[in-house]
Amino acid sequence: MAKMEWKNQILPILPARLQNIFATLSGQAAEELEEIRLRSGKAIMICTHRGESFVGLDGVTGNFSEAVIVTAAELQAVLLTVAEYSLYARDEELRRGYLALPGGHRAGFAGRVVLEENRVKLLRDISGISLRIAREVKGAGEALLPQLFCTRQQRVYHTLLVSAPQAGKTTMLRDLARLFSDGDQVKGRFGLKVGIVDERSELAGCYLGVPQLDVGMRSDVLDGCPKAEGMMMLVRSMSPQLLVTDELGRPEDARAVEEAVNSGASILATVHGHCLGDLMKRPSLAYLLRQTLFERIVFLSRRKGPGTIEEIYNGETVKSRLVAEEMGHVV
Amino acid sequence: MWFKWAGAVLIVLATSLWGNQQAAKMRRRVRQLEEFRLALRLLMAEIGYTATPLPRALEYVQGCLGDERVKQFFAEIVLQLGRPEVGDASQAWLRAVEVCRGQLSLRADDWPLIIRAAAGLGGLGRESQLKQLEAAESQLAGHTARVAENCVRSERMWRYLGVLGGAALVIVLL
Repeated sequence: MAKMEWKNQILPILPARLQNIFATLSGQAAEELEEIRLRSGKAIMICTHRGESFVGLDGVTGNFSEAVIVTAAELQAVLLTVAEYSLYARDEELRRGYLALPGGHRAGFAGRVVLEENRVKLLRDISGISLRIAREVKGAGEALLPQLFCTRQQRVYHTLLVSAPQAGKTTMLRDLARLFSDGDQVKGRFGLKVGIVDERSELAGCYLGVPQLDVGMRSDVLDGCPKAEGMMMLVRSMSPQLLVTDELGRPEDARAVEEAVNSGASILATVHGHCLGDLMKRPSLAYLLRQTLFERIVFLSRRKGPGTIEEIYNGETVKSRLVAEEMGHVV
Repeated sequence: MWFKWAGAVLIVLATSLWGNQQAAKMRRRVRQLEEFRLALRLLMAEIGYTATPLPRALEYVQGCLGDERVKQFFAEIVLQLGRPEVGDASQAWLRAVEVCRGQLSLRADDWPLIIRAAAGLGGLGRESQLKQLEAAESQLAGHTARVAENCVRSERMWRYLGVLGGAALVIVLL
């Protein structure tokens, strides 16, 4: 995706005043833009990997007094435009707090939550919108790929990518899905049938069910589907050789991973965390690690930019470390 | 003498034509009300079953309708939705009412029911949206039934009035 392509997709959803302001945004800030933050009665902020800045009438500014203030009406207008004036069509996504945008971008919302039987029913009085710009980095997974692929068996090791938020997990996962799906005849790696469960429309960036980001020629995407249910659906219906999903965490996800592994599909998934200790605090993940279901556990960071590979563990190594730690605790 | 008779025939023809036009207008009104009912039912199906966003749902509805003027009304809503100054779908619907009011055969007492369908349009959850449209459609159904009943009586009345009015005028003039 071209560096400034976001303008074609994001500008139409903004009200006229904000459209004019962002249309003139140029230079490094526009090219490296990761996020636009709009908060009711507050200054417009943009985020790049270099940090945050305000946006004024003349472009990026470090001075708060020159920043443009967003109104509540403008936020409401953004919501309605994003939802194509049809909140009923996107209420399930809105309940989760975000909406997928054309081009694979995403709008996250904050506001007053209305509950019904202890479940989020709807979000009203929108007070903040975060527009996250999808950045497709083709080739991001190339360095990691040989470590995750068993050439002899022509299969992908069951792999878990671990990092803190915004360290490039999803970008890495998307590119790995693309690389495995497309294959590489020259290197003797055949393309695999890839099934992607994209619960938050972040991985393939589906808009109206069509992936907006390149996830490979042999990839089938279940968009907006709960991970556990989606994995089982794909196993039954599309016979994937590789199942890809983002952000495991719930107990049912762990059960679905176990089922999928037993069905013969490889698993490539991500999870939030900084270290092995973080994963062990989550019972469902700890269970999967103890079972050695994951053959590769890869830790990523932003140390040298998003997607920096910090460590790659073998599943057995992780298990023995865990056992040792547990023994240590016993002693 | 034959001038007088030719004139008399022309008068009766003209008033009969006028009477028929009025009757046709009544029929057109009923047909357009029925089309609006059909449109609301189609819209409900699009929202309830496929949760299609309004611009596409309205385009689909428009494609299913038979009456050109009612089609034009739904096309106008889609057009209004694309205008930056239009804030939401209700506003787009009301603007379409303003634009198309003169082109349809509906009468002043029909429009409040058409306008009622715009309340909360696009700004509600799926269930509430469906309930709201259902309520509007059922009110429109009742109103259409009453208008259709009146239409049968009035249609005949306008036709007779045309012919008899012409004949009465001829008698007076002769």
